Amino acid sequence: MANLHYKTAQLRAALCLCLSAIALALSTPTLAADAGNFARTADGRPDFNGLWQALGNNHWDIEPHNARFGPDYKWAAIGAFPAGLGVVVGGQIPYTPVARAKQRENQANWLTADPVVKCYMPGVPRANYMPFPFQIVQSPEHIVMAYEFASANRIVYMNRPNFAAPVPSWMGHSLGRWDGDTLVIDVTEQMPDSWLDRSGNHHTEQLKVTERYTFLSRDVIEYEARLEDPGVYTRPWSMKMPLYRRLEENAQLLEFKCVEFAEELLYGHLVKGADVDQD
Amino acid sequence: MQIENNWRYQKTFIALALLLSAPMLSAQNNYVVPHTLNGQPDLQGVWANNSTTPLQRPEFFADRDTLTEDEYQRLLARAAQIEIGGGDALFGDGFLNAVITGEVESYDPSTGNYDQSWMASRNIERRTSLIVDPPNGRLPPMLPEARERMTTEARIRRENPSDSYLSRPLQERCITYGMPYMLAGYNSYYQIVQSATHVAIIQEMIHDVRLIPLVAGEHVDSNIRLWHGDSRGHFEGDTLVIETRNFSDESEFMGAGGNRLFTERFTRTANDVLRYEFTIEDDQTWERPWTAVINYTHSEDPIYEYACHEGNYALSGILSGARAEERRAAE
Repeated sequence: MANLHYKTAQLRAALCLCLSAIALALSTPTLAADAGNFARTADGRPDFNGLWQALGNNHWDIEPHNARFGPDYKWAAIGAFPAGLGVVVGGQIPYTPVARAKQRENQANWLTADPVVKCYMPGVPRANYMPFPFQIVQSPEHIVMAYEFASANRIVYMNRPNFAAPVPSWMGHSLGRWDGDTLVIDVTEQMPDSWLDRSGNHHTEQLKVTERYTFLSRDVIEYEARLEDPGVYTRPWSMKMPLYRRLEENAQLLEFKCVEFAEELLYGHLVKGADVDQD
Repeated sequence: MQIENNWRYQKTFIALALLLSAPMLSAQNNYVVPHTLNGQPDLQGVWANNSTTPLQRPEFFADRDTLTEDEYQRLLARAAQIEIGGGDALFGDGFLNAVITGEVESYDPSTGNYDQSWMASRNIERRTSLIVDPPNGRLPPMLPEARERMTTEARIRRENPSDSYLSRPLQERCITYGMPYMLAGYNSYYQIVQSATHVAIIQEMIHDVRLIPLVAGEHVDSNIRLWHGDSRGHFEGDTLVIETRNFSDESEFMGAGGNRLFTERFTRTANDVLRYEFTIEDDQTWERPWTAVINYTHSEDPIYEYACHEGNYALSGILSGARAEERRAAE
């Protein structure tokens, strides 16, 4: 009996060594030593289930930028733009000259022109680095991404490369696949209206986003999005940032419907007794 | 397992197609609910509430909860006429009422533009009401204070229907159609996706995802009040049970407000039928709790993105129309 236990233990040890060797052989040298340390789902895929959020100031401006004045002096220090190193690989978005001029115009008219100010759905990739969490619910066939901001959401259809978008949409059409332990999602058919940040960075309806989600460690995803849009960019470009797991014991997605916060801005001039010029 | 399930579904579908009838409830005897890799009852798929059964039983039927064969045949025949005829859109209770009484209550009497073309094909059942408890199929009596609350709110809405965006119903403002969403045949699609720890219920109407943590934990702090409440779920056998509370007072549902406790039970009764039962308890609104059952049917089509607020030109139109009328009246 004791002998049997000993043998089982030996076998276990051998199996462990063997699995560790496989894990070492498979891990990419550029990733941290922690990269193999993440949970897997019942079907053996990396388990992205959980509540995630980007940190930093990239939602203000994804290009490198200084701190600058906000649009309303009354908001003073808390309404100013914080500085940021940017998340665009190589620094600047490769706009055509016309598209760069359009970005500067957008930036100058931020408050009136940014669709997110009106509580419109942010689109992809912006939804992933808004200053709000999002929840991933992952099954083998579908991955749901539910965003707190504006109740925006998308369904990622796994392994259905020929499933055409039924209609263009604000959150786009997401088709997913696995590249080893990386989740790759092609996002197409987005409305041209959405922006990439609060600084007027933009795209057209030709935008094709290729997202890559790879675990850096158990609670950190390396998120990469490659943007291709011949309408405004001279070549494809990428952004890269970590997404962090929300670790509070009671972490959960709450509601930020936000329509109710935008109504006075959108409809206030049409309310009875509103002081406006009638045209 | 998957292949077998698909084939079973296909057989059901072929049988339905041969019958050339609206999808009926092919509840199979001894149906074995499939399970996910995590060992949960598999409720996943796109589900539609296209039932024609009214919430409350028309008084005509008294205590009878199912239609006679003759009534059912008349219902099928009349339904075909209504769909072909393209008359006014018949929401929820309107369908059976139109067949039984011949009366059509128009949603949009002023323009007549809200016709049947807005509606999905309907699932015609033999049931006479969605409400199964109380046994008379009707809402329990409303408490006097709740009735007074509703009368006051209705009067304010009637007297000042378009003074402000705040005077308009929550659904016209693209905030919520209520929890639960009751309209049948009108973007009444849901997709369920399950992980080991959560159930996501994607609701096409105004685009929402309900996230149900499968934990027996406490609800969020009572100061946190939500349009769609705070949900916790667990499985009882093959049934997903969800308890939702912490509704905001503004999240009004048929007279009930923030005090309500909302319990849902989802059970797959066939590959193409998901039985959805809910109970609402609110001792500030009704004399007793009430329970309804809606049979969701399987849909092959995906959920679409309903960008409600982004395309809400109607609200501007309603308000500017009201202001134009006031200016004209003042001239």
